[in-house]
Amino acid sequence: MFKFNNINLDIWTETYGISFYLTYLSRWPDLCCVQEAPNGHMMGYVIGKAEGHGQDWHGHVTALTVAPEYRRLSLARKMMSLLEMVSDETYKGFFVDLYVRCTNSVAISMYEGLGYSVYRRVREYYGSLGLGRASKDEEDAFDMRKPLSRDPHRRSVRANGREFVVSAHDVS
Amino acid sequence: MSTALDRQIRPIYDALDTQSNKSAVLACNKVLKKQPNNVLVKALKALALVRLQKVEESLLLADEVLAKKPTDDGVLTAMMHVLRGLGRHSDIVAMFETAYKQHPQNEDLGTQTFFANVRVGNWKAAQQVATKMHKQFQDDRYLYWSIFSAVLQANDMATPEALRPVLLKLALRLISSGNTPSYFNPDRFYVHLLILRELEMYDDAATLLNHEIGQKICETSLVCDEIRRDIMKLKGACKQEGEQAKVKILEKKDRNWLEFLSLLDATFWDIASTSEPASEDVKAAVTEEIAKTRKVFSEAATVDGLKDRSGLLALLELEKRTKSHGLWTDACEIRMMAENYFSQFGDKACCYEDLLPYLAFEGEELEQWTSFLNSRKSFDTPDTLQRSINVYKLLRYNLTSAELTPELELARAQEYIKVYLDGLKFGVNLPDTELQPADDFAILVGHAYVSLWKLTGEESHLQSAAATLEYASARSKQSYRIRLLLIRIYHLLDHYRLMNVKQVQTDTLSHLILSRAAMWSLAPLGDITYMSECMEASQIYMSNSTETAEFIARAFSTERYSQIIDFIEFEDRLDNSLQRDLMKVEHVRMRVAHEPLNAELVDMELIELKFIFDRIHHDNRDFEVIPNYQPRCQPSFNEQTLPLKPPGAGWLSAYLKVYIRAFQEASDLDETVEDKLLIGDRPKPSNDPENQLPLRERLVKKRQEEIDDLSEDEKLFYEYTLALSEWVGPYHDYVRPPPSALLAEAAKSNDLKPGHPLKSMAAAANGSATNGHSKKDEEPPAVKESPELIPKFFDDMKSRFDAVISGTALPSELLHIVATTQEAYLLFALETVRFKPNSIIKQYKFGQLAQSFKDLRVKASSILNEMSTVLAKLGEEVATPDGRKAFVQASSSIQDSSGFDHDFVLGVAKKTTDARKQTYEGIAKGLAKVVKNHS
Repeated sequence: MFKFNNINLDIWTETYGISFYLTYLSRWPDLCCVQEAPNGHMMGYVIGKAEGHGQDWHGHVTALTVAPEYRRLSLARKMMSLLEMVSDETYKGFFVDLYVRCTNSVAISMYEGLGYSVYRRVREYYGSLGLGRASKDEEDAFDMRKPLSRDPHRRSVRANGREFVVSAHDVS
Repeated sequence: MSTALDRQIRPIYDALDTQSNKSAVLACNKVLKKQPNNVLVKALKALALVRLQKVEESLLLADEVLAKKPTDDGVLTAMMHVLRGLGRHSDIVAMFETAYKQHPQNEDLGTQTFFANVRVGNWKAAQQVATKMHKQFQDDRYLYWSIFSAVLQANDMATPEALRPVLLKLALRLISSGNTPSYFNPDRFYVHLLILRELEMYDDAATLLNHEIGQKICETSLVCDEIRRDIMKLKGACKQEGEQAKVKILEKKDRNWLEFLSLLDATFWDIASTSEPASEDVKAAVTEEIAKTRKVFSEAATVDGLKDRSGLLALLELEKRTKSHGLWTDACEIRMMAENYFSQFGDKACCYEDLLPYLAFEGEELEQWTSFLNSRKSFDTPDTLQRSINVYKLLRYNLTSAELTPELELARAQEYIKVYLDGLKFGVNLPDTELQPADDFAILVGHAYVSLWKLTGEESHLQSAAATLEYASARSKQSYRIRLLLIRIYHLLDHYRLMNVKQVQTDTLSHLILSRAAMWSLAPLGDITYMSECMEASQIYMSNSTETAEFIARAFSTERYSQIIDFIEFEDRLDNSLQRDLMKVEHVRMRVAHEPLNAELVDMELIELKFIFDRIHHDNRDFEVIPNYQPRCQPSFNEQTLPLKPPGAGWLSAYLKVYIRAFQEASDLDETVEDKLLIGDRPKPSNDPENQLPLRERLVKKRQEEIDDLSEDEKLFYEYTLALSEWVGPYHDYVRPPPSALLAEAAKSNDLKPGHPLKSMAAAANGSATNGHSKKDEEPPAVKESPELIPKFFDDMKSRFDAVISGTALPSELLHIVATTQEAYLLFALETVRFKPNSIIKQYKFGQLAQSFKDLRVKASSILNEMSTVLAKLGEEVATPDGRKAFVQASSSIQDSSGFDHDFVLGVAKKTTDARKQTYEGIAKGLAKVVKNHS
């Protein structure tokens, strides 16, 4: 945490309180991973958890971020596949899901490339970035999902997720 | 609990939950009227009171509850929060221990007692509790709690060296006594490996690791794999590791950099593992290994192509190590590899940082490399733009000092501006949340101008840098890198700009704004926001001390032992953060300038500073985040733009000594009194032999480390304070009331809190009588003339000030001198406030002393007033149309290169000059006020 400034000063990356990070590290250390460059700089990290009941048991990507200077190297792809692997093999989840700001088009297209699809749109999930335009899109999130090996019939995804809107109160 | 009582107590909890502490107190009082001995309600009331900052009342109630030795869960939980609020952590432990002793079969109480010990880092006691629990409840979980507590005790700095192996051996013995083997889960396995490593039993560890389950665990658990690597290395099994790594790289396509490092280490093992010069045979064998490894890496690089850069980087590292071991074959190998890497990954942003360690070329190699790069410039697409950015950065890195003339640097700056402005076309359609692809060219412009400023000493170059970066910042609103550079440059010019940092970032980044912040705010009419800034930035340390300990306990309950050591280190690094205490000292300096110098300020800060004094600090400040693209023969951008050397541990120590000494003399508290009046725990004493000396001796001891950290002016100031306190100290000691009188006074005014803090008053009165009563029978110490150093200091500062004014110093330098002089004046006021009342002067015949004080005060005041007048005048001059014109003219070089219109530069000029005016005027007025307040 003392070294993540080059990553977290970026606008899309949220910085949380100590308890946030320590909760994840104390409960799902195997779903948290940092990538370092050979010179010791942090390149990116992923933080995830396992949650849900029954058919809904799944891995969740809480944060995935790469420092500006280490982008376009497929680092996110590699971290996602690690997280999917652990969610699948260690936690035996049915799917992996994540939230992303509707305006973060770069991230959305990357997730689509990785096999994720929009499951629903969550209204006012995020705080405002304070940029004062297109605020609807900015605060809303897409819930994106990808089925794992325990869900061979792809029950956890649907095709028209973008039109399926829920409010932030209805999701955990 | 009866339902009737439940109905009465529910509203109390509700009020507490909603932070309505006042109504919680009322609700408690209502119940207590009918049931004056209800312990739970008392505990809840104490909680509400402590939240309302009514410490004294809360203390009283808390002591009453503790005396009842509660065992009820609700009472214990409430009391835990109360005692935490009072800072009495050791009492929490004692409370749970007492409860557990009464009910040894209660598993929950045992757990709570264990956690209470864990939270305060009391590993020995924690281990004993866990052992007891294991015996009672026969759960392996408790066995591992006790094992890991023993490990942590062995790790603890306070544990004597000789005891450590004993504890570790105990832990090892306990592991073998468990019902299930350690590989039952990865975290227990990790504990087992850790103990074996600490005991240097590498062969036993290897047996575990080579076991089928051991291997399986290491495949999925990163922490176990990490410790495995470590053990193998310590065991000297490098070659074996290298073989495994080779398989992983080639067959499993593992691209973990650690695998590449394993193979590299194995390749050079025969040479690197001995200090003796290698024989020809060994050299030949290693050369053969190098060839093999090169084949592996090349294969990986070919397979991956553009997908992964590890193979090519590993090849570079291989050549570099070959060279450093004197096994050089072909001189151009590294350059060829670098060119190869650039051809593949030159259009990635990481290219520059990746290549840096390998580029120290000289002579012909450098020429070839430079011409290679020069042929790669092009600006047709966003990708080639990124490639060109790398070209410019890499060329700049290898510039020699002969190439760094002002003319050439200016030409470079103008070229960077040109390509920057051209490059903007690729980002025209990007949303404003995205970074502009050409940003880094603007950053290079900033670098070139800062370098020009360093070469020529002309401030105008800093203004050009600021103007360009402002322009770039407006186009790439989210670029924190540009903002970082601007913060630094503005700091040199006169004012500051905010960065929105949060949480842990405040520890690593607040130094950007707050180091030596007192300098900017020392004037009461200066920037008072700095004080709140300090308070805000300190929040993280508060939340660390409450939250992190809690998570250490939680990690025990989920048996994530592998995380605990990290959590403990994290807690320690934040708790003893250098930046934290630097900020504390800045805050104290500001308080002294802004607030009346009364006993409340002096006593409180004295105690707090003394707490800090014994800490061993960790420097968590992040200087690396500031971009640096200066040539390798120059200091980094960070170093170039620091107004003064950044304050370090030496600086902190010097200023702590200065203020502790001054507060100690001004205060009536001596150590015996302080002990009695203190609520809450003291910090753990440290084991440093240096710290065993009496405080007084340590305070007057100057250390080289301190001197090295101070600026020239601060050095003078340090000497001045030493002389001052040496001179005035004896008079303070004589006049200070004896401890017994003080304690009696405190007891009188605090009838509310009998018992706890003042319980041993009688003992204090007897024990410390030696430096109390007896002294009054002596003659007052003879009045001595003031040491020469004191008036001389003010004269010196005056001439420093004049010299800087007539030269071309940056505003920050000027302010530093003014601030230091003012601080000296304030300390003088602090040290003499006790002798102000006429009654004191008469009673102790200090007439002559008072006269010396007066003379000095008049002298210092007049110098400060003079500085104030000059500053005010400067402030007026700077923000006139003429001043702005000068700024615009100074940055004419950036207007020539088109793109920047006159109005934009004028806008930046107005902002900068106005800010400077404000700073000067504020500080000038503030100075005058300080002088008036203390004259």
